[in-house]
Amino acid sequence: MKFIKKQIPLMIVMVVGLLTLASYYVPNKHSVDYIELLSKWENIVMAFAFLLGLISLFYSHYNKISRKTDGWGYSLFVYIGFLGMVVPAMMNGGRQMVDGRLTMLGWSFNYIYNALSATMFAVLAFYIVSTAYRSFRIKSKQAFVLFLAAFVLILGKVPLGQIIWDFLLGWTHATVSEVIEWIMSVPAVAGKRGIMIGISIGAIVTSLKIIFGIERQYMGKD
Amino acid sequence: MIKYKAILTLFLSLLSVNAAFSAEPAPAVISGLTAVDMPYDVGNAVMLRWAINPSDTPDTVYVVHASSQQAGAWVEADRFSASAKTGDDIELPFWAWDGSAMEHAVKVELNNIFGESAAGSVFRFKVSALEKGLLKAESAPVPATPVGNWFRLDRLNNIVLLIVIVIVFFWAVSHAKRKGLFIRRIAGLDAIDEAIGRATEMGKPIYYVPGIGTMSSISTIASAFILGEVSKKVAQYDSQIKVPHYDPIVMTVCKEIVKQSYMEAGRPDSYREDINFFVSQDQFSYAASVDGMISREKPAACFFMGYFMAESLLLAEVGATSGAIQIAGTDIESQLPFFFTACDYTLIGEELYAAGAYLSKEPMLLSALKVQDFGKLVVMVSVFFGIILVAAGAALHWDSFVNVILNLFKAY
Repeated sequence: MKFIKKQIPLMIVMVVGLLTLASYYVPNKHSVDYIELLSKWENIVMAFAFLLGLISLFYSHYNKISRKTDGWGYSLFVYIGFLGMVVPAMMNGGRQMVDGRLTMLGWSFNYIYNALSATMFAVLAFYIVSTAYRSFRIKSKQAFVLFLAAFVLILGKVPLGQIIWDFLLGWTHATVSEVIEWIMSVPAVAGKRGIMIGISIGAIVTSLKIIFGIERQYMGKD
Repeated sequence: MIKYKAILTLFLSLLSVNAAFSAEPAPAVISGLTAVDMPYDVGNAVMLRWAINPSDTPDTVYVVHASSQQAGAWVEADRFSASAKTGDDIELPFWAWDGSAMEHAVKVELNNIFGESAAGSVFRFKVSALEKGLLKAESAPVPATPVGNWFRLDRLNNIVLLIVIVIVFFWAVSHAKRKGLFIRRIAGLDAIDEAIGRATEMGKPIYYVPGIGTMSSISTIASAFILGEVSKKVAQYDSQIKVPHYDPIVMTVCKEIVKQSYMEAGRPDSYREDINFFVSQDQFSYAASVDGMISREKPAACFFMGYFMAESLLLAEVGATSGAIQIAGTDIESQLPFFFTACDYTLIGEELYAAGAYLSKEPMLLSALKVQDFGKLVVMVSVFFGIILVAAGAALHWDSFVNVILNLFKAY
């Protein structure tokens, strides 16, 4: 039983992992076909897993409604929203436009779904402001450096800031746009590359751990 | 009689000379054209090479023709000026390519011209040189058969580095069995106990958000490992954890992980199927839903571990305003600043990958962290000596030497 539950899955992981790794160095058509096959399998598994997700979604919101937990009324909108998109989609065969006119599905998509998505994205702007305010509270030396760099960037992006810079620091003969360019292309890029190198090496090692069965937490430990 | 014959001969000779001067000159021949299979590819390209003609002017244009038929049916495959497409322009390292600036080298992608072709198909190629629209020279047709290759020789530097890392990896894993290794403290991971303890004292839930990555994303896999350790501690403390999901496959995997963790903690009775639940596979719908839950339930702690895009700030800011202790980790460097400013602790990229090993304290997993350190050492030494060698080579005008160094560290 342990062989079926542990050894076989580990063998599959190792063989598939090594083949996928080898495909990076083997440009042959068999290698390309193998990667395409894996992609197709992933899509098939994804389609079935989506059904599981849908069942989980309905189940958890049904529980909230039946138990009358806090905010249970919002759970009703899950079913209303689902029916509001699925029923028109079935009625119109999944088409958003028929003879140049919007169908019910197209209308729901354009005037409800897109509007709500855009609203969420727009909220981001307000959150950036409140986060910026929080990060501008200088509590350490590092926070001061962050504040200084951000302050110079903000200064350079507005005409008033450029005037202030020229008035106060014009004698340095360095324009604020030059300073911004240096910050963005030297210290910012250096930091970013350092992080990216660490991430790449970490990803290689994590992959090796999974391929060679060192990391097997995803399978349980018994 | 002889006199008349001489006059007639002279007249005919003058006519032929006149005709010879008035006709267009016959095009010259482009010699030395070769067509071979493009090396290190899937088998849908051919490489054409011929020597640069010193008499080419800036007005000279080369036209490459290809045909899939035995005769005729020529299709224009490429057109370029005489100064372009030399052997130096082919993006291959010195150990896999012997081209020079003294020859033209053109890669012809046949699938873009003829679509998919059967294996072993023979294609023919010819090259014409035009000057101001007039044919100046033309080559004889040459045949070639593209074939799929079995090894990317241009990635030799990559595979050598990989082999070295694999050897060090196995050395580190075997070393771990003999004695323990020192691992530096990671503040964000040490704070996990504090966060779970806080949630237990307050009687409020913990939200663990694995992001919007799929199971093929390394950060999501790392997040799943961390979830295993976090949920084990949650089970031990008899606290509550909620894991909203974006991807149903990730949800299915995480369900098994959390279930296993509860069993290992000796609390299988506390495990509930609705700990992991699916929310939405749309980025902003997911963010809106999780934000709503965090706002209403005011959790004691929020974990944001995995792959995040624009929703990172939407989630972290709402968590911060609700007063939760927040620990985040992602390998998307563009989202790290948002987590830095909105969360109490942030795991940067590689720390996220190391977290599972750090928390589990298993020697085998911890030893693999040493491989990461070795990789970073290799990069640092390479960068240091690379800078010195390239700078010295450039100062001394050793172009070939600089090219060799740059080729060694380039990804193909």
